[in-house]
Amino acid sequence: MSGSTPGGAPGSATESGAPAPQVTERPAPQQEGISERALARIFITPSFVVMAAIALFPILYAAYESLFDFTFFTREDFVGLANYVDQLTSPRFWTAVFVTIAFTVVSVTLEFIVGMIFALIMNAAFRGRNVTRAVILLPWVIPTVIAGQKWRYLFEQRPGYINEWLGLGAIDWLGSGASMFWAVVIADWWKTSPFVALLLLAGLQTIPQETYEAAKVDGATWWQRFRNVTLPLLAPSIVVALLFRSVDALRIFDLADVMTNARLETLSVLAQRSIVRDPQPDVANALAVLTFILIMGIGLLFISLMGRDVVGDPEEGS
Amino acid sequence: MSKNPFVLRAIGLLAVLALVAAACGPAPDEEEEDEAGAPAEDAAFTWAVTGADGPTMEAVADLWNEENPDQQVNLTLLPPEADDQRTQLFNDQITGAGEFDVLGLDVIWTGEFAEAGFIESLEDMRDSVEGVSIPGAIESAQHEGELYALPYSTNFGFLYYRTDLVDEPPETWEELYDIVVEVQEEEDIDGYVGQGDSYEGFVVNYLEFLWSDGGEVFDDAATESLLLDGDHAEKAITFMQDAFEEGVFAGDFNTMVEDDARLAFQAGDAIFMRNWPYAYPLALGEDDEESEVADDFDIAPLPAFEGAPVDTVSTLGGLNNAVSTLSENQEVAREFVEWAATDEGPQEILAEMQPPPTMASIYENYEDIVPEDQLPVYEVLNEIREDARARPPVPGYNSFSLAVQENLHSVYADGADPGPALEAVNEAAEEALVEDPEEAIEEEADPDEDE
Repeated sequence: MSGSTPGGAPGSATESGAPAPQVTERPAPQQEGISERALARIFITPSFVVMAAIALFPILYAAYESLFDFTFFTREDFVGLANYVDQLTSPRFWTAVFVTIAFTVVSVTLEFIVGMIFALIMNAAFRGRNVTRAVILLPWVIPTVIAGQKWRYLFEQRPGYINEWLGLGAIDWLGSGASMFWAVVIADWWKTSPFVALLLLAGLQTIPQETYEAAKVDGATWWQRFRNVTLPLLAPSIVVALLFRSVDALRIFDLADVMTNARLETLSVLAQRSIVRDPQPDVANALAVLTFILIMGIGLLFISLMGRDVVGDPEEGS
Repeated sequence: MSKNPFVLRAIGLLAVLALVAAACGPAPDEEEEDEAGAPAEDAAFTWAVTGADGPTMEAVADLWNEENPDQQVNLTLLPPEADDQRTQLFNDQITGAGEFDVLGLDVIWTGEFAEAGFIESLEDMRDSVEGVSIPGAIESAQHEGELYALPYSTNFGFLYYRTDLVDEPPETWEELYDIVVEVQEEEDIDGYVGQGDSYEGFVVNYLEFLWSDGGEVFDDAATESLLLDGDHAEKAITFMQDAFEEGVFAGDFNTMVEDDARLAFQAGDAIFMRNWPYAYPLALGEDDEESEVADDFDIAPLPAFEGAPVDTVSTLGGLNNAVSTLSENQEVAREFVEWAATDEGPQEILAEMQPPPTMASIYENYEDIVPEDQLPVYEVLNEIREDARARPPVPGYNSFSLAVQENLHSVYADGADPGPALEAVNEAAEEALVEDPEEAIEEEADPDEDE
């Protein structure tokens, strides 16, 4: 918006206007009229509008809808935050929050450990590396719903593969209680560790080989090299991997729905049930907004706590 | 770029896959012909019904089209899952599309659809079905005493038992329990399998336990919940709890749907099974089914509890046909609904295929109509159909059913306390009767504040 200084014209005129003298009548694009920053905003506007229409609008519309009391048959009164009050005072909601967060913490931790091991393996140079990489990535390629069905079949008591392999007798994995939680965690662990490994592998490959050689020359052991070279240099990738996975795990729906017939009630399961099975769209909208706030909040927390220096620009806003 | 051998190979692989896909899929023309009985261009009206028994529905639609060349029906098969069907039927109404003239409604949806104004009252057609259709089916097509649909198909649950392990089928649940314990002393075998996953099938099974102790969910006029009158509700769920804990129910009863139970029974892994008639020919080993028990099983009515006022109870399944209020072809739609309920043609197709018909006369003359291998099924159905019960088609049946699934599943499968769970179900039952459940919640909220 700010106008540029009038004296700046000659330098730019030689660049663009020299062949055609008349061009001086028109303002030189770089210097007069609008600034570079404003121009950038103009260019960004169409994509922002599209993004807003497909991403922002549904979120805001859901938030708006959640303020009404209605079913599919009837559109009724504006009730303000009543739907939220209902949810925030319901033990069922808080159980779902607890299950969701517990699932996220446990599964992301496990996936990070195994993902790191996988990434180190995939990064090492050895015969058959390509095959190993492909095998490690396979679970991630399988659609989650199909993976969920496969794991359900393995966990079921009939024919009871997992119980038999582990010599567990007749453990009821999927029917009820804490075992459902662990069954879904294990399936997710298997399914998503490769994804973490892939993100970490990308980071590992940016670490120059020379740093390792230097560390070796200095007599560092494998552990010292991992601890003092790999981890610090990998930090940006680790933050990205943990952030992606946490935000993703907080939305967990498919495995819980397929493996336990939605008995493992996470926030997304609760919201889906409200909209499809009850159906209570007002409640579902409120749940969706609460889930959004939770995920957004945890994502921001993540960035501010761990990743300020790697994710965002440290100069920004100062 | 294309010099990269990996890219070349990938392109080659894609080309092969494309060829294979083309070779496997039917040519467009053949596909058109496969859709039986659907000359969509000049159809007079559309019948939307579950795809679960697709071939039966197609045969019925074909028969109508044969008899009514001027008023062809366009058959739209909905997804086989009940929830998905309901969503599609809802969407047709909510969006005002009105593409469906005749709606094949699960017996539990009558109240909900009638209350929402989605379907026409068919009370003036009562005379044509009264005395023609079986009473339980008519009951399931009513809302507040008014007929909103006409019966079409039905379904009964009964007991499958192993004749090589059990001499006489048990008449009471207590007897069944003892037989299982006894047989399990000798053999390593599961006891009772049925529908125990947290879904509608579990509600069906629970209601059978409840009703077979003389318990009720509602009074006759559906004005109040009787769930907590007497200790029937608690007895039913604690029986399930004990049976599950003690291994009388199979260890995976709590994740079983119809086909899980059938496969376990068919593999010879269970002594007793509660299931619908569809499992009978399959357990006999027909249609190339593998069955370990083809020669070693029989069927009987479900037991009741000792000292109960009834000998047996079966929860009714099935479909009723209703006319959409958005339909512009109401006259022919009503004609079709009546024909499907009262004409021998479609009803006999149901008897020959699946699911069972609702016309009483077919059950009387079943020997001439039903295929020979199905005769024992109809013998049992005749024994139990008088005692079969419709699930209460109240407007809020759906939320009542969800409350049963969400509260009672963990009671029997996870040892939760039955008291509060039954209180919650009772509350849901009360709300299911009220026109606006939100108001009921507010009314309920006041006494809570006094506490």
